[in-house]
Amino acid sequence: MHRKRLWNFVNYLLLSIAALLFIAPILFMVVGSFKPEAQVLSEMGTLRAVLPSEIKLHNYRDVFVRIPFGRYLWNSVLINGLIVGLGLIVNALAAYALARLQWRGRDTLLVVVLALLIIPFEAIAVPLFYQLSALGWRNDYLVQVFPFVANPLAIYLFYSFFLGLPRELEEAARVDGAGILRTFFAIVIPNAKPVFATVAIVTFLLYWGMYLWPLLMTVDDGVRPLPLAIATFYTLPPVQWGDILAFGVMMVLPVLVIFITFQPWFVRGVATTGLKG
Amino acid sequence: MSRVTFSDITKRFPDGTLAISDFSLGIRDGELLVLLGPSGCGKSTLLRMLAGLEQPSSGELRIDDVVVNDLSPQQRNIAMVFQNYALYPHMSVRENLAFPLRMQRLPRRDIERRVREVAERLSLGELLDKHPRALSGGQRQRVAMGRALVREPKVFLMDEPLSNLDAELRLQIRQDSARLQRDTGVTTLYVTHDQVEAMTLGQRIVVLKQGVLQQLGTANELYAWPANTFVATFIGSPGMNIFQAPLQRDEQGYTFTIDGRTIALHVGAYSEESLSTFAGKILHVGIRPEALCLVAAGDEGVVDFSVKLSGLERLGHEVIVHFPAINRIADMQAEHCARLSHQDGLQIGDNISLSVAVKDLYLFDPNGCAIPRVS
Amino acid sequence: MKRVLMIKRTHVSEKTIAWLFMAPALLGLALFILAPFILAIVLSFTNVRLGSPLPVEWTGWREYARLMDDAAFLHALFNNLVFALVVVPVQTLLALGLALWLNRPLRGRVVFRTLFFMPVIFPLSLIAVVWILIYSPDANGLMNHVLRLMSLGHWQTKDFLHDPLWALPAIMLTSIWQGVGLQMVVLLAALQAIPAELYEAATIDGARAWQRFRHVSLPQLRNALVFVVIVTTILAFRVFDQVRIMTQGGPEDHSATVVFAAVQAAFDRAQVAKGMAMSVVFFLLVLAITLVQRKLLKQTRD
Repeated sequence: MHRKRLWNFVNYLLLSIAALLFIAPILFMVVGSFKPEAQVLSEMGTLRAVLPSEIKLHNYRDVFVRIPFGRYLWNSVLINGLIVGLGLIVNALAAYALARLQWRGRDTLLVVVLALLIIPFEAIAVPLFYQLSALGWRNDYLVQVFPFVANPLAIYLFYSFFLGLPRELEEAARVDGAGILRTFFAIVIPNAKPVFATVAIVTFLLYWGMYLWPLLMTVDDGVRPLPLAIATFYTLPPVQWGDILAFGVMMVLPVLVIFITFQPWFVRGVATTGLKG
Repeated sequence: MSRVTFSDITKRFPDGTLAISDFSLGIRDGELLVLLGPSGCGKSTLLRMLAGLEQPSSGELRIDDVVVNDLSPQQRNIAMVFQNYALYPHMSVRENLAFPLRMQRLPRRDIERRVREVAERLSLGELLDKHPRALSGGQRQRVAMGRALVREPKVFLMDEPLSNLDAELRLQIRQDSARLQRDTGVTTLYVTHDQVEAMTLGQRIVVLKQGVLQQLGTANELYAWPANTFVATFIGSPGMNIFQAPLQRDEQGYTFTIDGRTIALHVGAYSEESLSTFAGKILHVGIRPEALCLVAAGDEGVVDFSVKLSGLERLGHEVIVHFPAINRIADMQAEHCARLSHQDGLQIGDNISLSVAVKDLYLFDPNGCAIPRVS
Repeated sequence: MKRVLMIKRTHVSEKTIAWLFMAPALLGLALFILAPFILAIVLSFTNVRLGSPLPVEWTGWREYARLMDDAAFLHALFNNLVFALVVVPVQTLLALGLALWLNRPLRGRVVFRTLFFMPVIFPLSLIAVVWILIYSPDANGLMNHVLRLMSLGHWQTKDFLHDPLWALPAIMLTSIWQGVGLQMVVLLAALQAIPAELYEAATIDGARAWQRFRHVSLPQLRNALVFVVIVTTILAFRVFDQVRIMTQGGPEDHSATVVFAAVQAAFDRAQVAKGMAMSVVFFLLVLAITLVQRKLLKQTRD
């Protein structure tokens, strides 16, 4: 018994050390964001790198002074909000038509949608950039939103969920006198909250870090999102690492909050789809 | 209050399977009719076609005198109780009951009144604000019944509504359902694979096999005059024993041979013309397990067999004995059985003599169709 | 006179509703996935360049033939292969180890799982920037410092991201760190889905810990492992953000990847046809990997 307890303690200790080492870069970022510039680099090799000595918010203030951080944040929020919001509607509707409605061409389109699932965005980024540039469509919000609204993965997630719903619920509603639309909105959607949550969280996290597309499509700071901003901010002279780390903390904070709030949904979503680009 | 008519209904699924072929049936006003058959016989498909959840491939469906083939479910004014009840999980019991009425756009006042009435009738009063997941199986079943009743439908459809309940509850709800149907007088189509349920509930029963109607009749008719060997073996517990025997004709009349014994048919029990076509052919002969008894041989009008017991099921007041089939028909029962009143001494491996009255024999032609008796 | 009002509810057919439901998604998929996909294939057979005075012509396989001779592209392809060959096994083994470690009776498992998963949700651009600092060529740089400590002072300070030998491994380490949590979560979920009865039965049958892992866990984990390996392999070929931000493919293509090369060709140098051809090659690679996955997963179902 005694040995077992000791073994347990050692296990916890080792696990904690491993976890700490593992998240050291994150701790380093957070701690560094509160330090005076000179200490960020000079203390990097010491334990001080991950242990805060004093908390100063001047780096955070600098971020707002040196660049229009609020604007970038707003851009990211707006673009992601639109992708997630519109995506939920568009993909859920399509998935329901594929899963439950009777119409000719359904099976063919299902195969097409599933086939599109294997085309990674990186394979079409360059041609899409060329296609939209040729149309003169660049450098605004919507060009960062529309390409990602209809999403084969989201359709697939909704589709499998709808297939798994007991069909009798919808049949009961039909017999009780509801039409197809009413059945969908009054019966199916209220019972599909988990899949809406999963799809929303997963798409949000996917696109919050999107870098390649805005890099290709935007030139104005007025419409650029955070990932692009941090990539240019860290080259902005004079290089102020404290400011950069403060930027990073603020950039990741919304995702972190959402992630920790919706842990169970998220882990389920990831475990079943294994996604993240 | 409505009549329902199925005329020459055929249903072929897109994958080619023939679920229902050429099915015709009239359900009387206010009748409770049971569709009985083994799983996969197409009984649920018939129900779902009447509900409007499936389309017949050909044929005509009428409720009263209206052809409903092209009407959507919500235009047919029918109510349905599903096997798993299909209560809306996100709605309280009250909302579940109100849903069909809301779909009819009834005034709020009327909805409340009718929900209250139904709740009272089914003693759901205390459950009204609960959600389905908080209910027991029996309570869910009652809510499902209530949701069907509340709209005062023309036809009531029930798809194995008791199969998810335990035995005790099933018995009680079976009786409640029968009473409810009598009281309301709503025409009801009831689907089940359980013959006891069918026999106790159905005013008339339809036996279905592989999408084909086998027999329509009351419980007594099905038991006493099965139309073919399928109905004979399906109804009764256990079902009828079927074996084969050649039919011969001699001066006195018709005889057949079982187990080496020649048995004369009652003169006049069967008409001459129905038997004459089968003279010299092999007939199927049926005996109900409960018609067999342990009786001393030699009586007039009684046939006896010697059998070696291969199995025993003691039920207390009676015992079911199994023995290798007599004159076995290929692809049919490998064992026959008998229901005997309580016997203490029997053991597996015993040789016993069983007897049956000639009048309790059923005759079927080589295709399995009953040869009608004269009486 | 009494007027009879016939109220007829307009009835929209199921077919119409289905197409209405499908329409927005179909439009999006056609315009933003299918169209560029076809465009890539078509343009890769031409000589199109942005701002080029030459007329656009069909050039057949010329672009692809050139790619096979293009040292920079071949280097990028080679880098992707090295990346996959190192990152996939290392990351998978690490993830499997962590998953097994966390799959024991353990209080606070969720906390540890969350910690190891944390980097997965970080934007890659942010991770790239933070690791630039970690790889700082300053003598105090975290990585240099750690290596000097571990080598008892023998380590010579290096500028990892500008060193032909170290640039790619540096990016690989960052990627492993960022991605291992994802695989761990998938594997942990698969491990926890194994019924306890299987282990109990194996124990009763006399299996020791290693044998239980070998004969119970591993076969049950097969599909999850195949899935994880394939997804990671595909991700290894999709690498872009870290390269673009940390090394710009340098020094001299030593850390360039296929996607990076395609973007560079089409975006930075306006060589559209070349970028398209690279995109098509990249897609074919991913397709091949996916087909291998399908095949492997099918085998277990039989």
